[in-house]
Amino acid sequence: MPIYAPTLPPRPEGEVQIRPLLVLFRFEWQRLQRTKVGRFFGFIFVGMFLTKLIYIYVRYLLETQAALKEAQNFTNKIFAQGAHFQAGLLDPASYLLWFLVAMVGGGLIARDTLHRVRPLIYAHPVRPRDYLLAKLGFATALPFVILLPYVLGPWLLSLLIAGAKGPVWVTLPLNLIPAILPMSLLMGSLAVGASSLAGTPRSGIAWVLGVVLGASAVAGMLHGLTDNVQFMALNPIVLCLAWPQLMCGVERPVFGWGATILGTTAHVVLWIEVARRRTLPSEAVL
Amino acid sequence: MIRFDHLEVRYPGAPRPALRDLTLDLQAGVVGLLGPNGAGKSTLLKALLGLLTPSSGRGEVLGVALGTEAAARLRARIGYMPEYDALIEDTSAYHQVAFWGELSGLSSENARDRAHEVLYFVGLDEARYRPVSGYSTGMRQRVKLAQAIVHSPELLFLDEPTNGLDPEGRQRMLDLVLRVRRELGATVILASHLLTDVERVADQLVILDKGELKAAGTVENLRKLLAHRYELRFLEPLTPEQEIALPELGIVLEARQGRYDLELAELDLSRPFTWAVQRGATLVQLTPRHDRLDEVLIRALQPATPAMTGAN
Repeated sequence: MPIYAPTLPPRPEGEVQIRPLLVLFRFEWQRLQRTKVGRFFGFIFVGMFLTKLIYIYVRYLLETQAALKEAQNFTNKIFAQGAHFQAGLLDPASYLLWFLVAMVGGGLIARDTLHRVRPLIYAHPVRPRDYLLAKLGFATALPFVILLPYVLGPWLLSLLIAGAKGPVWVTLPLNLIPAILPMSLLMGSLAVGASSLAGTPRSGIAWVLGVVLGASAVAGMLHGLTDNVQFMALNPIVLCLAWPQLMCGVERPVFGWGATILGTTAHVVLWIEVARRRTLPSEAVL
Repeated sequence: MIRFDHLEVRYPGAPRPALRDLTLDLQAGVVGLLGPNGAGKSTLLKALLGLLTPSSGRGEVLGVALGTEAAARLRARIGYMPEYDALIEDTSAYHQVAFWGELSGLSSENARDRAHEVLYFVGLDEARYRPVSGYSTGMRQRVKLAQAIVHSPELLFLDEPTNGLDPEGRQRMLDLVLRVRRELGATVILASHLLTDVERVADQLVILDKGELKAAGTVENLRKLLAHRYELRFLEPLTPEQEIALPELGIVLEARQGRYDLELAELDLSRPFTWAVQRGATLVQLTPRHDRLDEVLIRALQPATPAMTGAN
């Protein structure tokens, strides 16, 4: 038997703060933290990140051993690494990230559709633009936040153990952070677009994976039929490989700047437009 | 509080407007919104929330014109409890009520404090940290009410708040509605198909059908509109000749085995008896039928009935 409060106290003092983007974004983040998927992937990515750091550090110790005083010279000699090594610092996290994007991003809009939460959101001071930007922002920030330590971690470690002569370029953040931005935006837009097409979070996951694998298959077929590698720019997985390669100046990237920019832009625009149309207030039946 | 002036709302591409020529002036209090499916109740709520722009006419809610940029911010002053679940299943009642509070403009700290208060108010204090997926129907309805009042709105829309509740649960919910009105001072718009619920809490009534206003006004005044309605009971069923002559007394609404519901042309109650004597019938009972709210609804929804207004 519930106990009812004798009275409802008056509303607390304070100015009205309308900031739907922040509130929606933070709620998604807190919800992810509470879910098993969030904890599982958090553990996996932290594990992979630590492995990367340990790899660099152990190699350093093995090669230097007692001659720690001459560490900088040895490291410079042994760890002389090219652009491929720098660009490869994001592997294999960037592959696994597609699964996280599907698991988390697939349900972002689909869950609201299933439980009919969106009409209630629109019954608050939230414009459809705010809703879409918050979902897109969260789906983009998630891969960005996960990939960022893969740039900064090895870079800092390299600086600490070998200074400017370390295996990781001193200027690496300037190369890779601009690369993970379009990668994250590509993943985020694809996730919200595919999620908006789904009616349940589970089908949202299938939609994201289906779109990624479907686009990859179409790109592969067109590439095979025409022998033109530029068609591979339809493949979002390969696009995410191309950006770090181009930004680090790899000698033979999977394809050039034009195809990468065009492919990424096409995906981002298409999936944001799909999500925009699917989240209009006219779709929200009260 | 709410004012419509020949308001028309049309969905894009729809052949006819969803709301037609709506002129209304609702005062503070509890307003019952009645009408069958497709009457335009949800469209009216959408329009009031500023989600639909009027295609013609004007509307004003809490002094803000509908269809303007300010209408979006107006929603911070409105609470809405939808008919359907609309709950975030994997989240506790506390977390989601705090979330809705923040979305309505409360600061994070205030929203958290307020979530505790309103959940206590609706009787969910002990269950507030459990995910709502494990809640009973009554508890879910109360979470919905809590999220609607967390920011102490000036205007509260409740869409079928007693849906799926047992009689005791309905009683509790209606008590809460009255307490919200009393303690928050909010104007409540209660959309329901249950006349008994509306009758218990509403002091004003709006009846819609097919997008048109069928009746509006205070409950008391609307009841008075039925003052001419009487049931006439005769000792013997009337002969065909007597039945043909019955409209001399007024409009015959219903006839069943010696009983006739009439809308009397004049309130001279000796006239039916005189008519019976003249026509050779024996009138044994003359019963007023203007005490029931459902009579207002039934009459309002009859085809070709002009809009009834019982405003003050």
